[in-house]
Order: sequence, then structure tokens, then C-alpha cells
Amino acid sequence: MIVSAERTVDAGALASELEHLGGRLMMLFVAGGLGDHRQLRAIVRSGDDVIMVRAPLHGNVYPAVTPRVPAAHWFEREIHDLFAIVPAGHPRLEPLVRHPADEGEVKLPEEEDVRLEHRGAERLAGPGVFVIPYGPVRSGVFEASQFLVQTGGEDVAYCAQRLFFKRRGAERRICEVPLGQAVLVAERVSGTSSVAHALAFSHAVESLAQTEVPPRAQAIRRILAELERLYNHLEATVRECEDASLAVGQAQFAVLKERLHRLAGATIGNRYLRGAVVPGGTRIDLDTGAVDLIGSTLAGWEREWRRVLSILLRTDSFLDRLVSTGPLSEQDARDFGCVGPVARGSGVDVDTRRDLPYDGYPDFKAAGHSEGDAMARMEVRFQEVDASLELIREAVGSLAPGPIRIATGPFTRDTALGASESARGETLYWLEAGGERSVRSCKLRAASFVNFGVFNRVFDSQVLTDFSFIEHSLGLSPAGCDA
Amino acid sequence: MIRWFLRGVSRSRVTTCYPRGEEPPPSGFRARALLNPDALDDRDAATLAAACLPGALAVNGGGNLRLDGSRCIACGLCVDGSRHGAVRMDPGYELATRSRERLVVGEASPEVEMAPSTLAGPFRRSLHIRHVDTGSDGAVEQEIAALLNPYYDLHRLGLFFTATPRHADVLLVTGPVTRPMEEPLRRTYEGMPEPRVVVAAGTDACSGSIWTAPEVLGGVDRVLPVDVYIPGDPPSPIGLLHGLLLAAGRVPEAPAPRAKRAASNEGAAA
Repeated sequence: MIVSAERTVDAGALASELEHLGGRLMMLFVAGGLGDHRQLRAIVRSGDDVIMVRAPLHGNVYPAVTPRVPAAHWFEREIHDLFAIVPAGHPRLEPLVRHPADEGEVKLPEEEDVRLEHRGAERLAGPGVFVIPYGPVRSGVFEASQFLVQTGGEDVAYCAQRLFFKRRGAERRICEVPLGQAVLVAERVSGTSSVAHALAFSHAVESLAQTEVPPRAQAIRRILAELERLYNHLEATVRECEDASLAVGQAQFAVLKERLHRLAGATIGNRYLRGAVVPGGTRIDLDTGAVDLIGSTLAGWEREWRRVLSILLRTDSFLDRLVSTGPLSEQDARDFGCVGPVARGSGVDVDTRRDLPYDGYPDFKAAGHSEGDAMARMEVRFQEVDASLELIREAVGSLAPGPIRIATGPFTRDTALGASESARGETLYWLEAGGERSVRSCKLRAASFVNFGVFNRVFDSQVLTDFSFIEHSLGLSPAGCDA
Repeated sequence: MIRWFLRGVSRSRVTTCYPRGEEPPPSGFRARALLNPDALDDRDAATLAAACLPGALAVNGGGNLRLDGSRCIACGLCVDGSRHGAVRMDPGYELATRSRERLVVGEASPEVEMAPSTLAGPFRRSLHIRHVDTGSDGAVEQEIAALLNPYYDLHRLGLFFTATPRHADVLLVTGPVTRPMEEPLRRTYEGMPEPRVVVAAGTDACSGSIWTAPEVLGGVDRVLPVDVYIPGDPPSPIGLLHGLLLAAGRVPEAPAPRAKRAASNEGAAA
């Protein structure tokens, strides 16, 4: 049970309560059905506690939290878009998740439909200032996202992002489908973090049913989660090499990444490790052959990784582009509730694997850096590759014979929060039981949802040519953010 | 830089010889579900259909199982629930096809007339590809990007990614087409010179997969005429290569799964 305390306040007092609690706002959303039963729910990490604050809503307006707790800025815009609830006093209350194309097609839960005012992004004006619209169809192979880079030529004056082109309605889909299949939806929210999403969802279901996962399944889950972290960190490295026109480096890291996907395909049957993690354990066991393959592949892999990395860290043309690029201050990282390597690169020590322990993770020291630039975020990833290899060795060593899955019983709790640490950071699923074996409502929050919130802040006084370095050092997943 | 040079030349070659040679998938790879021909009248047909999230398995008019390969995400839940071995997982890489009907097994449908390829002539040597994401889960993009790594090395086959639709021959679409992406997708297509080819990459793009309205339109062919379907969740790099070469008319289509069945078995037999 992650949530250690609950309290109820009036919606009017939510902002002051959250400010008083301090800590990091993990989620803010609307729950409890329609009409007068609706309540705002905030989940806050304060010290070692995770506190759920409920705030019953009376009517459609409440005083916004964002002016006091900046981390709420996207959550409140989302609430406004999807529930037609107005956070009064929000500094920039324009549509976030709803596009003009959705109007009239994607219905709000309330009977009344509101027309949202699409004002467009904030625009600067002045002689010589122009806007480079970048996306949603971007040059190269990229996910759909849009950036409006406002510049006078070289300096980026302001970079506005427009996301949620990819909203597929995952939260609603999870509630619609039979419980046994819902994990498949979670796996496909962010396809490169399938294991982390499946884990967070499964943890929530296991908490609702108060099920204990067998030790062997826990060890397999750790192996898969760390393998996933490895290939995601390699992806970030490949992309940064590509940006620095480091062709050989790009090819060498891409070879290392491809080997991990092949290992995943040979052991789990899917190159992105899908179909393995389910509530109650895992669906796929790792037999002796698979365990040996993992051990032997990673031993050679690690040698190669160290050699190529040592060359990379001595390549000035690479370092020059990353050092001091895209700085994120510790204050911003805290204010906006950043997670994952983005937060850890700016000196904010958060790691779900250690803070909210799950699946038998041993005690370990989270990677960290204090510079806050693109290089710091990459160095956090490099350290984490070593840590992941160590964690996989530990998990392989602790694979004891036994069952890999136990049936999850009927739900005995009403609500539960599930968490996991993806390669991009903390991934959260909040579920509300609708019966003994069904989920009535689901709220998910991928790491990228909060990390995208600081995207325009890291462009402060940066130049145009740094765009892709900054973007790839943040390692964001539009698919996870949009859900 | 000299270190990188030495590193580059000291490595042995890893590039696949596909499509000249075979590239066998690992035996446990789950690429798609296949129906066992003699188990089409599985007594558990209704149970299996209910256990299929994207609706790939269904019961057809005759009470038999019907498998729509353009919807299958190869999760394997049907194999877990199949007591009589009606369904099995197949590791094959070459799944691309030029007609969505060819991906459907277990229904007496007339043989689809294949229009002569308009692509083979102009595109035999080289293709320029424009990618558009219309709501994928993000993994397909990485598999497409993997085509540039030394294992697959797309450029050796004369295939290139291009930044603008004006230079593109192939529109490679990933994702189930969300409403906000419908317009950008159309405009990209309209920006391409003719002749042009649309390739739907991944089960999401082929059929919409697990995603349902209202947020998504459900498959690229709801918006544009699709020439090549590459199923897979996500499709493997070899599967993508096969689909792109198929679009160029450089490889034959893999035989439809039903072609393997005994000819005597009526109903779905080709």
C-alpha cells in the first residue's frame, strides 16, 4: 500500500493544503463519478509519506492550485479540458489535451459540452522575430509532437510545445476491457516502457486484491525492468550521437541496442518485452537456457559498452555540444515535480525503485548529478546502465525455483496506487475498483507527462542548433504523455 | 576521432544478408497467431474470441474461428486459453501483404484480385520514405530507426528516409490514426508526387488494434488507400524491410497463412 495517509479538505482549501504539505505533487485528477460526487484528488510525496488529499467539488469552479504549486499546471489544464471544471486563477488555462479535431467527437463526461477556446500558443512579437513550426510531422522518424520555436535567428526566445496528438484514450480503455486483458492496454501506452507500465498497473491491481507476488516472479520482473531501462538509455545515447554527427558512435551504440532487443526477442518472444508481466506475477518463465543466454549476452555486452563509452567520453566534439546545454535548475526540477534522469541530473534525488520499493529491489544508491545540463542527464543514464547490469546479475542470482504467478483474488480495497520506475522516471496508475474484479476508473501518469512540463524552461537562452540535443537528453515519450 | 576510426574498422561485419539470404527469427518469437487447420471448429471458439482484446479472433457465421491477422497483437493469451490447440504462435518475420483480406484466416472469402503493382516499374532501384506517426505507442518508430543500424543498413538496398513529402515515394504510417493526426496525414499524402505508395506499419496502423473510437479512427485505410500492410506489435525490422521491399516490387509476397492448409479442408481453403 503506497498511500500512507489520506485527508479531506474543501476544494477551496486545496491549494493552501498542498502548499502546506510541500514535497512533490505526483498526481492531481478528478474522481468519484459525476455531479456532486466528484472530487479532486491530489497525491503528494511529502518526506517519506505518500499522502492522498481529497477535495469534494461543489459546482464547476474551484481556486486553482497552480499559482502556489507549479507542478499542478498541466494537471489542471487537463481537468479543465476533460471535465469542464474551471480552476479559477490558473495562469494559462487553454486547451492542453483536446484538439480542435476532437470537438463534438470526443464527449466530455458531463451531459453539457463546452466549446473550448483555442487561442493558440503564446506568441512573441517584434522586429525580426519569427516562428518555426516544427511538427507534428517532423523531419526524420519521430513521434507526433509539435514545437513552435520562436526565434530572432539564433537564440531561442520561446519554445512552445503542443502535444496530445496521440491521445488514444488508454485510461477509458483500461476500464472497458476485462481485467485480465487490461494489462495489454497498459503495455501499449508507451511502447518503449511496456514493462514499467505493465508493472505499475499490476502493482495497483495487486494492491486492490492484496496479493503478494511470488519471489521468482519478482526476480523475473526486475530482470525485465532493467533490460528495458538498458535499451531506453541506449536509445538516448544513439540519438545524442546522431545529433553530434558522430556516425561511428551512433552505429556502435545502435549495435549494442539491437543486441538487447534480440535478447528480449529470444527470451520473452517480443523485442519490447511485452506479454510477460501480468497482475499476480509473470506469464512467461525464464528457463535455464534463457537465463544462461541473458548472462552470456550481457557479459560480452558490458565489455563492448565500456569500450565504446570510454571513447565517447573522450570525444570533444560530443562533449562540447552537451556540456552546459539545456540547463534545468534544481529549483525548476523541484517546482515542476520532475522525475527520472531529468530530475536526477539536476540534483533531485528521486527513484521509485528505492523510494516506494517494489518487487524485491535490493537497497541501492540512485544515480545522481547536480549540473542539470544535457551532459548531466546523460551521465545519470551512463551510471544507471552500470547499476542495471548489476541489478540484473543480482536478480539472476536470486532466481529460486517456485511459481511465477498466483491468481489475484477479488478486490478488497476500493482504490489503489501502483508505481514503477521506467527509464524515463516514475510511472503511476491509480485504480478505483468497480466490483470484485473490475476497475471503474483509472488515472495513469507517465513520467513524460511531468517532464514535458519543463520543456520550454530548459530552452532559456539556448540556441536553435541545440534543440535536438536538449530534446533527446530529456528522453521524452509523447506516446506515454498523451496516453 | 582516430579512436572511432579504429573502432569502426576493427569490428566484424554484422549486417544481415536479407533479402538475398534468410534471417531466421528466434524460435520463441511471437510474431502472430496462427490457427491450426484441423482445430478450426474448436469447442472453445467463443471463449477464445472473448479472450482476444483487439478482436482478432472471432466466431464466423459457421461457428468456426476466424483470425484477422491485421488485428493480432501476438499477446499469446489465446494460446494460454486454447485447450484443444486451436491457436499457436508463429515466429515468422515476413508478414507484409498488399491486401488486408489476405491476413484473414478462417472465413470463406473469395480470392482477392490483386491489382497489378503500380510500384514495381518506377521504384525498382530506389525508394524515398516519408514517415508519419498517427498515434503509435513509440516502439514502431524505434524499430524503423533500427533499420539504419549496421544490422539492417537500409541504405545498402537503396532505401532512404526523406525530410519532405515532396521527395517521397513511400508514406510509412504508424499508429491507429487519432483525430488530431487525420489532417496532417492527409496533407502529407497530398504533398507527395505520384506515383506514391502508402505503407501501414504495425498492427495499430493496419487495423486500429486495441484502440477504439472515439479517440481514434481505427487504421490508416480509413483515411488513405493503403498499398502494403505490415502487421506486428511492433513489426520487427526484418518485417519492415520485407514490407518496404514489397512496396518496391522487389520481393514476392509471403504466402498467405491459409495456403499451407490441406486443400481438402473446405471453408477457408484458398
